[in-house]
Amino acid sequence: MRQRHRVRVPGLRLALMAAAAALLVSANAFSSGFQVMTHGARASGMGLAYAGISGDPTSVFYNPAGIAWMNHFEGYLGVNFLTRTEGELAGAAPFPGSGALETMENNWYFFPDGYLVLPLTNELNVGVGGFAQYGLGLKWDNPNTTFTGQFISQNSVIQAMDTNLNFTYRLFPELAIAAGVDYRFSKVQLERNQAAVNPFNGAVVPVAHVKLNSDLLENGGWGWNVALMFKPVQSISIGASYRSKIDVDYEGEATFTQRPTGNAALDAIVAASLPPGNPPVLTSIAFPSSLNLGVGIELGNQWLLSLEADWTEWSRFQSLAIIFPTLPGRDIFRPELWEDSWAYRAGLEKGFGNWAVRIGYYYDNTPQPDFDVSPLLPDSDRNVYTAGFGYNTERWGFDLAAVLLKFKERAILPPVPQTDNYYGTYKETGLVLTAGIRLAL
Amino acid sequence: MKTLLRSLGPAAAILALAAAPLSAQFTHYVALGDSLTAGVEGGCLVQRNQLASFPAVLANALNQTDFQQPLVQELGLTNPLVGAPCLGAVLSGSSITVGPISQMGGPLNALLARPYDNLGIPGANVGDLVTLTHGNPNGGSTAVRFSALVLRNVPGSPFDGMNAVTEANLLGPDLITLWAGSNDILSAATAGLFLPGVTATPPDVFEDNYAAVLENIAVPGRTIVAGNVPDVTAIPFTTTVPARITIPGGSVPVLGPGNDAYPCEPVAPDHGCPVPDGTLVTLPASALLAQGIGVPVALGGTGQPLPDGQFIPPATVVPGVLLYPDEVAGIEEYIADYNAIIAAQIAGVGGAVVDINAIFDDISAHGFHLGGINLSTAFLSGGIFSADGVHPSSIGYTIIANAFIQTMNVELGLEIPTPDFSHVLFTPNVPPSGAGVRGGGEWHYTLGMWRELLERTGAARGFSIEMPSASAPRPGRGGPRRVVRD
Repeated sequence: MRQRHRVRVPGLRLALMAAAAALLVSANAFSSGFQVMTHGARASGMGLAYAGISGDPTSVFYNPAGIAWMNHFEGYLGVNFLTRTEGELAGAAPFPGSGALETMENNWYFFPDGYLVLPLTNELNVGVGGFAQYGLGLKWDNPNTTFTGQFISQNSVIQAMDTNLNFTYRLFPELAIAAGVDYRFSKVQLERNQAAVNPFNGAVVPVAHVKLNSDLLENGGWGWNVALMFKPVQSISIGASYRSKIDVDYEGEATFTQRPTGNAALDAIVAASLPPGNPPVLTSIAFPSSLNLGVGIELGNQWLLSLEADWTEWSRFQSLAIIFPTLPGRDIFRPELWEDSWAYRAGLEKGFGNWAVRIGYYYDNTPQPDFDVSPLLPDSDRNVYTAGFGYNTERWGFDLAAVLLKFKERAILPPVPQTDNYYGTYKETGLVLTAGIRLAL
Repeated sequence: MKTLLRSLGPAAAILALAAAPLSAQFTHYVALGDSLTAGVEGGCLVQRNQLASFPAVLANALNQTDFQQPLVQELGLTNPLVGAPCLGAVLSGSSITVGPISQMGGPLNALLARPYDNLGIPGANVGDLVTLTHGNPNGGSTAVRFSALVLRNVPGSPFDGMNAVTEANLLGPDLITLWAGSNDILSAATAGLFLPGVTATPPDVFEDNYAAVLENIAVPGRTIVAGNVPDVTAIPFTTTVPARITIPGGSVPVLGPGNDAYPCEPVAPDHGCPVPDGTLVTLPASALLAQGIGVPVALGGTGQPLPDGQFIPPATVVPGVLLYPDEVAGIEEYIADYNAIIAAQIAGVGGAVVDINAIFDDISAHGFHLGGINLSTAFLSGGIFSADGVHPSSIGYTIIANAFIQTMNVELGLEIPTPDFSHVLFTPNVPPSGAGVRGGGEWHYTLGMWRELLERTGAARGFSIEMPSASAPRPGRGGPRRVVRD
């Protein structure tokens, strides 16, 4: 039997409701799979290569051990704006055919992140973070009219909001460790049309809209994390951060809304076949564990180089099952069979007094096999270019960054098997603008 | 060049093919076969469906722009009908059933000065492809009547006396698809009577007939791609009507007369016996069941058994609506034999076989999925079969064309483009303007429609059909008479 994870923390719930309201639609999946790594404007400007960097509240996300050397109460509040600048599918035979050109909705989405660092003793610090490490928002244009993938997915949303509490301890002046717990609130929303053959003319028509939805605050799962940072010399810091897997079992409800076909007899049959009300629906997502390995090197004259390799255990995402416990025969099972993936990141910062400018680059491998690439989630390898700047004093600061994502074209063409037999070439580029302010007491 | 290639033999031809640009893999394609090649849908052959025949789709993929078919005009309904009816889904009260929506008219392409490229002859079995040299538009079997349309081998025609193979050779094709053999067994299913030599061609005869076709068309420089025989016990005609009647708390079998393998001793007040598990009840039974035939008296029926197929010497078939398990097994065994013969003989000429049988078995079990659209072999609602329950729909024919293409690409190392399904999936397949669509009234899969189908699927060849009477024959021990024709 599926287990349901719930927490009841009144204050936390209120805060999360506010955060959830801010997540107007969802974060796009702008790192491999449906991972979101864009947290903190300084890190974003440096190619997200931040596991080997310390001294910033955003280290709660990248490497909690990095806050061990901080000796002020500090907070960071960030905002992230994401959009697709290009997202399309050029169709191919057998379906949807070479004449099909589908586009992804390119609205701006927004999600916040925030971090607090509280020094307890000289060696012991506490770090709290609220961030979205995973997320997906993919809505296609013309979902109910011309979109040929409307029977696979019109809109897929995964929201995940992590609350992460960390304790860090400096074992030695050069070495710190961290451990924490993470509760991930999450929701899933999937929408698609249901097709049927009109027996009077043999044509396929949409007969119903199906929406599966779960509540963000009602579903979640626990995880944990550990990290360390080692500074063998003043100019070099080496970091490693591991975040555990988190399994989330979702309980939600389905809504079947009939779409009239114009044929009364067919509509009557469809109406009789649609379940009334909002039947329950269950699903699960096996969120992966991840390991970030990074090094920061101060090159002198306010130059800082950061390098990082990230591993994500995407092989945990083996299938997606959608269960309708009260509707026999409607269950959906999709094999996913993703593979573990690596991303390689590099960032460079040059300081000018309190000002700093940054650039970065990373290459992210997709974990998604060809057969699984579909309108539900078309992932691809990507080259990512970042730039940013900031102004920071000991007590406060602000940073801004831009992240440009260039997805590689991904052609899924016969005879390559594809789960939905839906073929074509996907193109996508994305842009993230992020800003944050830091305050220290 | 062709002469040189022929003199050098098949190896040179293969080399020439390998060197040829993809668009010029084949210069001329011809299709041989039966109604499945002709493009019959809903029990009729009309232009609307011929343009979606599997050879037409394949020819398009091969970029053969001058692919000629014996197109037939489609007419609106008249009273009485002047041509064979085209069946479609119609309303019967508040339910959906099958009825005529248009009818066949005259030929549209009869003046073509050369043979057609699509030489599929509805009703033809394998032997007909070499023996049917004289068509007659007004009489004879279905194959003979359609031969007059497809081969134009009638008196006064330049094609008089020619069979399908001869006309194919006249065109000098370098690619022939041969999908024949279904009518060698289909009559057993549509007549509810598996009787070797009458409704089913014995495998040894089938082997000789198939060899006769191949020896006339397999020449150096020509590629032969054959489709094998699908399982005719797994089509909507045989799978739609359940063999059990649902009652509160369970179900009971329909009543049948029994046969030699399943003798019947009725218990009053019923005059028939419950059919054994594994019995298939064919579509025409729906009209009889609606009259209470096949339904036990205790459930409000007449207690009369559904008719099983009979053969009355010297040459009369009384069709039935039941296939008892021994008949199903016999049909499947014959199909397996046919397909082994096809595989062996096609391999002998260096051709490729499209395993239509396996493909449709898979579709029957798992459906066919495209872009979240789930198609199946379900009658009327599945999308893959047409309203006669026997022939594919336009979507089904595109699936078949795709199967030919994928097999050719894999087996022959070609790169023929995959057909585009988007048009056929979303375009309504209805009679053109002027052809009436009939709705309302009490329509079922009527006995008259059944007879049309029987004649079209070949049961009328060499013997007459005597439709079962409204009061079905009472069974005796051992069931109806079954006499193998001499």
